Parts: sequence; structure tokens; C-alpha cells
Amino acid sequence: MIHFNNVTKTYPNQNRPALDRVSVDVDKGEFVFLVGPSGSGKSTFLRLILREEKPDSGTIHVAGKDLSRLSNFKVPHLRRRIGCVFQDFRLLPNKNVYENVAFALEVIGKPRRFIRKVVPEVVELVGLEGKAHRMPHELSGGEQQRVAMARAFVNRPMILLADEPTGNIDPATSIGIMKVLDRINRTGTTVVMATHDAAIVDSMRKRVVELEDGRIVRDQSRGVYGQAY
Amino acid sequence: MRAGFIFSEVWIGLRRNATMTIALIVTVAIGMALLGIGMMINTQVSSAKNYWTDKVEISVFLCQKNSPFDNCKGKGGITQAQKAKLEQQIKAMTEVERVEFEDQAQAYENFKQQYANNSVLVAATRVEDMPESFRIKLKNPENYGNVIETLQKAEGVSQVVDQRKIVDNFFGFLGTLRSSALIVALIQVFAAILLIGNTVRLSAYNRRRETAIMRLVGASNLYIQAPFVLEGMVAGLIGGVISGFMLVAAKIVIFDGMQNYLVAAARMTWEDVAIVIAFTMAVGVLICVIASFVTLRRYLKV
Ligand SMILES: Nc1ncnc2c1ncn2[C@@H]1O[C@H](COP(=O)(O)OP(=O)(O)OP(=O)(O)O)[C@@H](O)[C@H]1O
Ligand SMILES: [Mg+2]
Repeated sequence: MIHFNNVTKTYPNQNRPALDRVSVDVDKGEFVFLVGPSGSGKSTFLRLILREEKPDSGTIHVAGKDLSRLSNFKVPHLRRRIGCVFQDFRLLPNKNVYENVAFALEVIGKPRRFIRKVVPEVVELVGLEGKAHRMPHELSGGEQQRVAMARAFVNRPMILLADEPTGNIDPATSIGIMKVLDRINRTGTTVVMATHDAAIVDSMRKRVVELEDGRIVRDQSRGVYGQAY
Repeated sequence: MRAGFIFSEVWIGLRRNATMTIALIVTVAIGMALLGIGMMINTQVSSAKNYWTDKVEISVFLCQKNSPFDNCKGKGGITQAQKAKLEQQIKAMTEVERVEFEDQAQAYENFKQQYANNSVLVAATRVEDMPESFRIKLKNPENYGNVIETLQKAEGVSQVVDQRKIVDNFFGFLGTLRSSALIVALIQVFAAILLIGNTVRLSAYNRRRETAIMRLVGASNLYIQAPFVLEGMVAGLIGGVISGFMLVAAKIVIFDGMQNYLVAAARMTWEDVAIVIAFTMAVGVLICVIASFVTLRRYLKV
């Protein structure tokens, strides 16, 4: 599903690569934690998958597509198959829960009837039934992140990328978020989650890829956050 | 595509930058109105010019008994021999297409016609006061210099008047007017482009969250850009409609008024005005759309 082969990425005016000869394979339906210290290249990894950035060398395949051969105007189609959530939720403050989720479908031109049908389903999936007409400022951080996850998932992407989704949320609420991610993963969606949250990684017992200074230093199935050799 | 969704975005965007939008609309309206006026003057000038180039003549006025002109002083009127010789001379010139003699009676008739509404002047003027003249039509009206120079020195000639000069002066004035209108129109277009740049920048800023999410969920570039370009288009269209009204007013106030000087043959029709309005509207919308599109690339990473 996601295939990195010897990928190096150096940002302009940086003397050190953000990712250095990274090779990794993520299969369909996997759940992968991306861990590592700040600045180790986790977000860069995710941005390359989205083709927000292009690698300097190496090849990246996502959902069977070679990203280096993907023309610019096909990038939106790639992104429709990938959902994203972030630490800062990125909701539209002047739209309610339902509208925030519906927005993702409206802007890719889905018919209104389809939107009316699927949005409530996803709102329920993330555990926000009954709160569809709340505005973002009327929700807790955890609830806002659920809205973001509903938006990311409403188009049934093949891949869900999460960049520190629990970064702004207390541990107790984070468990709820992880349950939703797990639920999404169980529908067959591949999930890649960058995180600093040791407790979560340790409790989930999923594959862990550790980055340090842009290099993969550990790739362990059913791993934990810290060194476990 | 969901047209309703895009249009509501456009409407919100335009309202959010109301001052900017109004400034843009006014600028486009003035710019396009001036462009239209320039075009209208242009069609006037060329149709009037066609009319006049057929008509313009060189008038060679002949000395009368008591002509006050320097050329005639102390010589009395032109003699028959001189008149015949002059006619021969004119006919011999290669530039001349034909020549006609206008006697005093005919001159008086023309005079009466020209000043029909000034009965005092007509009453005070007698046939004997009118000058005789040769009316020369040139093969090419542009080549008047040599003819005038030669005839000015001929015996018995009081004065050579080239109508073309008078007409040219008037056209020169119209030409200046047209150039001024077009220059100001150009400045307005430039200002409109800058304003569009600013509007797009503001819009991009106001909508930065929406566009970021649109990019993320895979909205096509067209879909992301459409609200911006449509904002420019709507502003351009409104400006164009306003300029259309200004052009209608200009036709009634300026051009119909000017008709008195420009003879009926060159009258501007409503059809001409409609063409000008359609053209300026298209130009206004096009400028807005292109300018939005170009500035968009600077502020919106796609
Ligand atoms: N847009 C950018 N321009 C230049 N350098 C960048 C840019 N984004 C990231 N970097 C650099 O690339 C390296 C990797 O950054 P990245 O954001 O991928 O790290 P990270 O693992 O996500 O860190 P964190 O855990 O703090 O989010 C860092 O050294 C960072 O300074
Ligand atoms: Mg990061």
C-alpha cells in the first residue's frame, strides 16, 4: 500500500536531510506507529505520502501509484484515497460538525443525496451522534479530533495518516481517539500514525517504525515505544 | 461540480472584502467606460473622415474690386484674362482631379443656406459682397501643400483656403480626446489589476483554512480556484454593467450633441453603442478573470 525505496529528502537551505535513505513497506490494512524524537522526520514521511513534498531521490509508491510519475493534476485523486488528521484538528470554525464533515465531500463534487446519507453514518462511527449541530468551539479537544477523524474517513480512504492526533489531548481522552482509529483500521483502512505518546504505543501493540535523524533505526511488529531489545 | 456550493462561497467572499470589491467594481466601471468612449470616438472619427475626405476642397478666392486682402490691394478686381489663365494653370496641375468655378450668385446661395438661421447677417450681405472662387478637388486630399503654395502666388488670387486644414484641426482635437480617454482607461485597467491582486490576496488569506482542507481532501485545482476567479468575474461583470450605463449616457449627452458638427452621415447608431458595450464588458470580465488567475498562483499553492 505504501512503499518507500531508498528515499532521501532534504529541505531547501538545510544541510542535513530530513529523511535519509529510508526504505519501508506498509501493507494494506496495517496499523503502523511512527515514533522518534522531535525533528526526526516523521511529519516529512507523511507529507511525502501525500505528495505535499517530493523526494530528492528514491521512489515512493502509494496505492500502486509511483508518485514521481504522478502528474500534478492527478495529485487530488491521490489525496482522495488518503485521509489525514493532525494535532491541531484543522476544523472550519464557522461550520458545525455535520458541515465540517460534509465539506470534504462537497469540495470533491459528491452529490448532495450521497452526502446526506454518509455523513451521519461517519459522525456516529466516531461517537458524536447527537452532536452533529454543535460548532467546533462548543466541543472538547477530544470531540474536535473525532470530527477531524470523521472528515478524514468520510470518503472511505484506503489510507489514514495521523500526525500526533493525541498531541493536544489528555491521556484518558486519547484512549477514545485510539479506539476510533482502531475501528477505522478494522474496516481495512491502512493507518500510519506519528506520535510521541509512549503509553498509547505500548498499549496498542502494533508495528512500530522508529526514526532518528531521518533514518530508520527500528522496525518492529507488535512493538513498544521505547527500546525493547 | 456543485454550482450552488461554489456560488455561496463566491458571495461570502465578495461580502467579506466589501470595500475591496466596491473599489474594484468602480475602477473596472470607469476604465471600461473610458475604453468604450475611446472606441466610440474612433468610430465617429473614421466615419466622419470618410464623409469629409469626399467633400473637402481647396477654395481659391479671387480678388474683387475692393478686396481688403494684401494680395489684391491696389490692383482692382481680377481680369477675365487672368481668370482664364488661372483656370488653365489649375487644370494643368497633376494633383488636381477637377475644378469648378463658383460665381458670386452661387456663393451667395451657399452663404444664405449656411447662415439660414442668422437673418440679420444674410440681410446685410449683398451678392456683390461675395467672392468668386475656384473650387478644387484633389485626387489625393493629402497632397495639398504644393497646390496651395503655387496658387497663393498666382495673379488675382486673394486667398487660398484648404477646408482640409479646418477639418484636420477638428479631427486633431477628437484624436487628442480619444488618446486621453484611452490613456486614462489604460491606467484604470492597471489599477484594476493591482486591486484584483489585492482582492485575491485577501480572499486567499480569508479562505486559507478552507483551501488548506480542500487541498488535503483532494479537491481539484479547478474547484479550489473557481471561487477566486468567479469573484473576479462577478466584480468585472458588475463593473461592466455600470460602464454600459455610462456609455449609454455618453452616447446621449456627448455624441448626439456632437452630431451637429459631424453631419448626419456620421451619426452613431444604437447598434454601434451595443457593440462597444458588449466589447468593453467582455474586456472587463476577461481582465478580471485573467488577473485573478495569475495572482492566484502566487498566493495559492496548489
Ligand atoms: N518546511 C521545512 N523547511 C525546512 N526544513 C524543514 C521543513 N519542515 C521540516 N524541516 C526540517 O526537517 C526535519 C524533520 O522535520 P519533521 O517535521 O519531519 O520532524 P518531526 O519528526 O515531525 O518532528 P516533530 O516530532 O517535532 O513533529 C527537521 O530538522 C526540520 O527542521
Ligand atoms: Mg511532526
